[in-house]
Amino acid sequence: MQAAPPAQPPVHLGPMHATRLRSLQALGVFCGFAAGAWLGGAEAPIKLVSPDISPITVSLIMVCGVFLARWSVPALVRGTSHVRSDVRQAPHLVIWAVLAGCMWAVANTLTIYAIRDVGLSIAFPLWNTNSLLGILWGFLLFNELHYAGWKRWLGVVGGAVSMFGGATLLAIASSHQAAPGKATLGVLAALGAGILWGTMYIPYRKAYLTGMNPLSFITFFTVGELVTMTVLAVGYRGATPLWHELVSARPVLFWLMLGGFVWVIGDLFQQYATKYVGISRGIPLSNTNQLWGMLWGILVFHELQGGGHTVYAQVVGGSILMALGAVAIALSSATAREHSSWQDAAHREGKRYGVEAEYVRAGMEGRAYGSSPTSRTLLDWLLILGTTGLFIALAALARLPHMGISTGWAVALTLAMLSLLATCGIALWRTTRFR
Amino acid sequence: MSPSRTDGSCKLFRAIATDLHFWIPLTVLLGGLVLLDKLH
Repeated sequence: MQAAPPAQPPVHLGPMHATRLRSLQALGVFCGFAAGAWLGGAEAPIKLVSPDISPITVSLIMVCGVFLARWSVPALVRGTSHVRSDVRQAPHLVIWAVLAGCMWAVANTLTIYAIRDVGLSIAFPLWNTNSLLGILWGFLLFNELHYAGWKRWLGVVGGAVSMFGGATLLAIASSHQAAPGKATLGVLAALGAGILWGTMYIPYRKAYLTGMNPLSFITFFTVGELVTMTVLAVGYRGATPLWHELVSARPVLFWLMLGGFVWVIGDLFQQYATKYVGISRGIPLSNTNQLWGMLWGILVFHELQGGGHTVYAQVVGGSILMALGAVAIALSSATAREHSSWQDAAHREGKRYGVEAEYVRAGMEGRAYGSSPTSRTLLDWLLILGTTGLFIALAALARLPHMGISTGWAVALTLAMLSLLATCGIALWRTTRFR
Repeated sequence: MSPSRTDGSCKLFRAIATDLHFWIPLTVLLGGLVLLDKLH
């Protein structure tokens, strides 16, 4: 199937300066950790939602929040005119982004069935195998870990396996109430979600090797997400029952959409991590989200209150394993030789799709390409103000359910997330100007 | 649509259709949809 590509001007990418490579690798690792914090924090608003609402509807409302965030955040950070100029350079990535969005929506829906049928303790570790699959795809398709040496291989693969073990322990500890049901289908659903998410990183890597900005990629990614999720929700619930459920969910719309918004910030960091350290390292680092989700659950929502010594031992052991795995991966950043093989893959992509060599190179180095628009347009301000207005309106309708929440811990964790957002955002700005 | 633009789109779709990398996620997506249908 890998037929000869149409004739295109040759793309030549020279080696990147060692100092620049090191700073981009460090930035990618930092983004991976920030992604974990924000993706994990996204679970918090969802915990405020009553279980009466069907999971498909919960997913659809979250995706609506995700859609708004995926357009308004790029409008705020760089302006949508950058999206247009990126699409002119690499139009094929629109199709890749929509495909990735469709995969995300199907995987997310599968996790709902997996949790229903086998419980979180079995489902979570199974779909967490996505990072192992990401390593495989990164190696096979994008020259990641080529010429990396056995120490880096051990760091990345050993780290991912250690994180998998930690994830398993945390999932077991956090789900002692889940009731196993139709085991085989549930296991298949969880594995299916892992395979979909692990394979979804092929479009991610494709985009970032070719030089696309993550802020541009996500705007098309979310079209695939929203369309697929809407089709699934209407197909499974029926249009009228779905509408009634959405109307009756008015008091929790804000929390769900806020969860989607927070999730997008985490995903954006994940995209930058993928761009600068590849999928084999970026994805396992982002999977530290489970640690953050656990922190929110235990400290703010008192989830393990009354749990025995075994449960706490599982939490501590799982957390240590995850942290050790993440540190091992963070310390195994790509060498100049490995990075040059990434450039070979970028060369191949540029040649196949006729993308300008300088655009590809500038993208990989996080530099500006050509003269880019600097001011925001009317559309950008409409997106920013419209989204802000909608969230304010939904917040006015929102009701906080009566449940024991530790406000002090919620504030502390929110501050920790915000400080990561600020420091990582400043690092991204200083190093790449959000490229 | 102008002829040059149509030609450009044809080239683009040909490049995607002959890229093995494209068929891997597409196949996985279709598999996921079949699985979802069975679960439902």
